[in-house]
Amino acid sequence: MSHFNLSAEIDRYAYTNALSKNSPVTKLFFALSLLLISVLSPSPVVPITVFLTTTVMILLCAKIPWRFYLRLLWYPTVIVALTCVIIALFFGYLEPLTEVNLLGLRWTIFRDGVATGFTTFFRVAGALSSQFFLVLTTPMTSILLILRKARVPKIIVEMSLLIYRYIFVFIEVMETMHIAQELRLGYSGLLKKLRSLSMLIGNLFIRTLDQGERTFTAMSARGYDGNIRVLEDVPKPNNAALAGIMFFAVALAIVAYLTVNIRIV
Amino acid sequence: MLFRLENLSHQYSDGTIALDNISLSFSKGERIALLGPNGSGKTTLLLHLIGILKPTSGKVYFEDKPLEYTPKALLELRRRVGFVFQDPNDQLFAPTVKQDVAFGPLNLGQPADQVRKAVDEALKLVGMSEYAEKPPHFLSFGQKKRVALAGVLAMKPDAIILDEPTSNLDPRGTSEILHLLLRLNKELGLTLILATHDVDMVPLFANKLYILNKGKLVSEGAPAELFSDTELIRSINLRSPRITHLFEVLKKEDKLPINPRLPLTISEARKEILRLLESETGEKKKRTRT
Repeated sequence: MSHFNLSAEIDRYAYTNALSKNSPVTKLFFALSLLLISVLSPSPVVPITVFLTTTVMILLCAKIPWRFYLRLLWYPTVIVALTCVIIALFFGYLEPLTEVNLLGLRWTIFRDGVATGFTTFFRVAGALSSQFFLVLTTPMTSILLILRKARVPKIIVEMSLLIYRYIFVFIEVMETMHIAQELRLGYSGLLKKLRSLSMLIGNLFIRTLDQGERTFTAMSARGYDGNIRVLEDVPKPNNAALAGIMFFAVALAIVAYLTVNIRIV
Repeated sequence: MLFRLENLSHQYSDGTIALDNISLSFSKGERIALLGPNGSGKTTLLLHLIGILKPTSGKVYFEDKPLEYTPKALLELRRRVGFVFQDPNDQLFAPTVKQDVAFGPLNLGQPADQVRKAVDEALKLVGMSEYAEKPPHFLSFGQKKRVALAGVLAMKPDAIILDEPTSNLDPRGTSEILHLLLRLNKELGLTLILATHDVDMVPLFANKLYILNKGKLVSEGAPAELFSDTELIRSINLRSPRITHLFEVLKKEDKLPINPRLPLTISEARKEILRLLESETGEKKKRTRT
C-alpha cells in the first residue's frame, strides 16, 4: 500500500526537515503568496521562477532528498502534462499554427491554444511546488495551531486534530487486517477481493466507533469537558523574513505584469 | 483510607455481571495489585474508582466520602487519581507528545507557564523529554506507554491507577516501567493501584494483592501469603510465579526441606538456596564428626 507509505513519509519529513523549527506563519505566508501569484500570473515566466525558487528551497534549505521530491512530483506532473496537451490541441481559435493529419482528418492547431497549454502547465507546476514546500516543511501540528489562532471554527480544528492522530492508528489497524486476510487467501480472485475488501471496510468502521468511545473515556479520565485545550507554542515569525517574502512577492507581481505579452510560441 | 468499596456490584447493559458484591479498601501509599485472569472484572473495578462507571449497587468511597458524580467533583477526583489505560493509543490523542501531556493540566485550568513546567517535569520523570515535539505515531509501544504515564503525572496526582501497565511490553520495557513505578511510590509517595495477570511481576511490585475471578473477590493479603495457596491460584486459570513453581516442585517431588513460605522472587530464591546449602554442609559436618 505504497500511497499510505508516501503520506506517512511526507509527515515524517515535515517533522524532521531542516526548516521544521522555523515559524510556520512565515512558511505558510511564503507558500500561499507564491501559490496565488503562480496561479494568477498570465505569463509562464513567473510560475517558472516560483517553481525554481521553491524547488531550491525544498532541496537546499529544507534538505529534502531530491529522489523523494521527484517521486512526489512525478504523479501530478504526468496528469497535468496530459491535460495540457489536450488543452494545446483543442483550445484556441485565433492564429492557426499548423495542421496535422489525424486518421485522415485535418486538424488545425492554434497558436493561442498551445500557449494556454504551456502557461497552464507552468502555473500548475509553480502551484504544486509551493504547496509541496508547505507540506514538506511544516508539521501538521503547527498548521493546526495557526488555524486555531486564525479563529477557524473550533469544531473543525478539533476534528482535524483527532483525525490527524487517528489516521495513523487506523492505517496500522487496516494494514494488519489486510495482511491477515491476504494470508488466508482473501484476495485471490476478483469476487473474493471484493468480499474481503467490503469486510475490511466494515470492520474498520466498527473499530473507529469503538476507538472513539475508548478515547472519550480516556480523555474523560483526564478531565475532558468538551473543550480540547492546547499549549500555543508557535515559534514567532521573523519580521525580516516576512518582509523579504513580501518584497519577493511584489517583485514577482511586477514581473508578471511586465511579461504579459511574452510568448513562448 | 484512600478508597473503600462497599458491596460493589456492576452489571453491564447486556446482562453480564462484571462485578459481584465486592468490598475492599485501599490505603494511602500502598502498592496494590489486582490479579485475575482475562475477564475477571479488574478493569471494570478500576473504572469505578474514578467515576467513569457507576455501580449498579453498592458504594464507592474516596477518602471516606461517597463518590459524587457531579462534573466538578469528578474533575477534582480525576486530578487526584490518575488513570493509565492499557492501550496507549486510546489515551494519546493529541498530535504531539507535549500537547498530549499538557491536556490534563490545561483541563485543570492552570496557567500556561505552570503547565509547561509540569509537562517538562513529567516527561523528565519518565525519561521522554527529548520526544516532546514528536507525534505519537513516531514512538514505540513502550515509549507511548511512558508518555501516557507522563500525561497522568503532569496532573500531580496522589494516586495512579494502571490497567495492565506491562502488557505487550518487551522484557526491558517491563522492567523499566516497573522500576519507574517503584521509584514514584518511594520518592513521591504515590499510591499505585494496578491490574495485571503478569504473576511474575506482582511479587516484585505489590505489597498488597487482591485476587479477582469472574467478578468476585477471591482472596486478599500479602503476595507471599496468597501465592502459597497454589491450589487456589491454579483453580482460577492463573499460575504461580516461575520461581515459586520451581521450589514447589523441588519440595513436593524431590522432598527438599524448603520453607513452607515459598520464595516468589529471584532474591528470595537466592536466600532460600543459600540457606539450603548451608544446612546441607552443616549436616555433612555433623555426620563426619560422628
